[in-house]
Amino acid sequence: MTSMVAGSNLLVDLLSGPRPAEWAPLRAAAEARLEGRDLPTTRDEAWRYTDLKALAAIPFGAAPRATVDISCHLLPEMVGTRQVFVNGHHAPHASCASAVPAGVRFLPMSTASEACHALGSVKNGATPELFEDLNSARFEDGAVLLVPKNLRVALPLHLLFITKAEAPVAVFPRVLVVLEPGAELELVEEHLGEGTYLSCPVVEVRLGEGAILRHERVQREAPEAFHIGTLKAEVGRHAQYHSRTLSFGARCSRQHPWVRLAEGAEGTLDGLALLDGQQVADTHSFMHHAEPDAVSHQLHKCIVDGKARAIFNGQVRVAPGAQGTDARQQSRNLLLSETARVDTKPQLEIYADDVKCSHGAAVGQLDPEELFYLESRGLNADDARNLLTYGFAADVLQRVPVASLRRTLRQLVMARTQATSLGELA
Amino acid sequence: MLSIKNLTASINGTPVLKGIDLEIKAGEIHAIMGPNGSGKSTLGKVLAGHPAYEVTGGEVLFEGRDLFSLAADERARAGLFMGFQHPIEVPGVSNASFLRLAYNKKAEAEGRDELDPLEFDDFIHEKIKLVAMREEFLDRSLNEGFSGGEKKRNEILQMAVLEPKLAILDELDSGLDIDALRVLGDAVNRLQRPDRALLIITHFPRILETIQPHYVHVLSGGRILKSSGKELALELEERGYDWVLEASAAGGAR
Repeated sequence: MTSMVAGSNLLVDLLSGPRPAEWAPLRAAAEARLEGRDLPTTRDEAWRYTDLKALAAIPFGAAPRATVDISCHLLPEMVGTRQVFVNGHHAPHASCASAVPAGVRFLPMSTASEACHALGSVKNGATPELFEDLNSARFEDGAVLLVPKNLRVALPLHLLFITKAEAPVAVFPRVLVVLEPGAELELVEEHLGEGTYLSCPVVEVRLGEGAILRHERVQREAPEAFHIGTLKAEVGRHAQYHSRTLSFGARCSRQHPWVRLAEGAEGTLDGLALLDGQQVADTHSFMHHAEPDAVSHQLHKCIVDGKARAIFNGQVRVAPGAQGTDARQQSRNLLLSETARVDTKPQLEIYADDVKCSHGAAVGQLDPEELFYLESRGLNADDARNLLTYGFAADVLQRVPVASLRRTLRQLVMARTQATSLGELA
Repeated sequence: MLSIKNLTASINGTPVLKGIDLEIKAGEIHAIMGPNGSGKSTLGKVLAGHPAYEVTGGEVLFEGRDLFSLAADERARAGLFMGFQHPIEVPGVSNASFLRLAYNKKAEAEGRDELDPLEFDDFIHEKIKLVAMREEFLDRSLNEGFSGGEKKRNEILQMAVLEPKLAILDELDSGLDIDALRVLGDAVNRLQRPDRALLIITHFPRILETIQPHYVHVLSGGRILKSSGKELALELEERGYDWVLEASAAGGAR
């Protein structure tokens, strides 16, 4: 078994991966940057709270092709608009794009040669993180999604990444989403699996003027999995990018959303993490107000139980000249045990003067006044606690546009907040 | 129905109720009035079981049972209801779900059938007419983003759903305009029955024009200084509270 990300073998193993010619420049650049680099440690400021020692100790190998039964993961609104990837490979028999409207290109990267030149073109101005480079150097397939000018896609599209690991494997899903000016789309991106594995996705989003993308991201990886994802969204003039990242699974997950807002654009990066046991969920976000009059919203919520740990670092940059910026960030955290832990930090860099920036962080337990209110209506103390915990999480799900997904997620949240005894909750 | 004898209570070691005696019988409507800080809201919270208050003495019987042997939720299921002065917002839980949950918990306690979502839907649509609430408020999160008046409307809706034996309404009139006050006052009147009782806690006599009490009590400094019929409310409207306080200080108000 070769080790793909551990220690000094990093580069050697990467160079042995498949290298389709179209991606050669992207791969070469990534590989060059990876040379001599090693996994970050807790001595790196950006990784202070997230220890990758356990990751380094696992000998991840390349993921073989596998078949899985996906019937329980299908959502009725999206049966005909889904692309499924298993262990990083496209799964044609599990996928079905029959309901994708004409003009929309929604297909595996390996067959979308026209899009390949655009890969890696969403640049955030900084040196890519190690895990982004790993993906660029190593991905085997992924999804390309192109929506032509002014087309509003009525049906949501479903991207499902499943990992089935009998021995430890590493997978590198890649997604490129391009909406031409005026296009509109809802995209559901889901990651799940079984076994011990590292999933290391990179999603690039480019929105033309006035385009609107609603992006639901569900991370429910296996309990022994690692998930380290990168999202880069370039939001054009007066375009809107709204994403919601829901982190339920993985022993250790890390999200790197990066959003660049052009003039008059709107960006949302909402998040919810539900953690228990020894889980770690880390979000390092970067909201870049590059031009005037853009609006951004961030609501990041964590419910942390057991010995789990949540980390949120929310960087907001208002570039010189980005007047009229309106940036709001909220980090709200609920600790359900004495041993749970949250580290939250807003990081504002403001280089313009006519801006509205607000941020707030709260870490706490359930509010006794709220508990009393529910108890005074006849709910016992446990039910009241569970209902409030459920509500804290479900609040983030209210605006999930796909009804069946909203139901599934609510059930997931109910199970995790012991609210199932309360019956059906909307 | 409710029998309060020499009740004393404190918060953070500070006495707030200093010996309350009050008898409420089925079919009666009582009003507790008093200046701000008199302890009247405390009385409601102590009766409902708010954890911040410590009962330091006295006895309260609710339908013959020792009220303080029951937790807040048990009191609610036994038929005690308190309408909050400042109802709490609970994001993420729809008003309808919450109402159904509360209804079913009480039904379960009383050995009645619980209602499934469809049955409850029919039930609640009758109830919202009573308080003239718009349907959309059922789907919204419990009290989240509701105006002060909408929250009060929702409190009375909860009362209509739970049909308590004894309802304590704390400052129902605060945050309500005159029309809403009349609608909710009428709703409360329609919910009142010979086997139920009401305790209205209010600073202003205005609400008592709609919900007419049989007895009015003036509470100040943690004690009931004066008890009388509903005409006392009119007198308080005209003369304010000072004369009661002064007379009490002189030892003659009772």
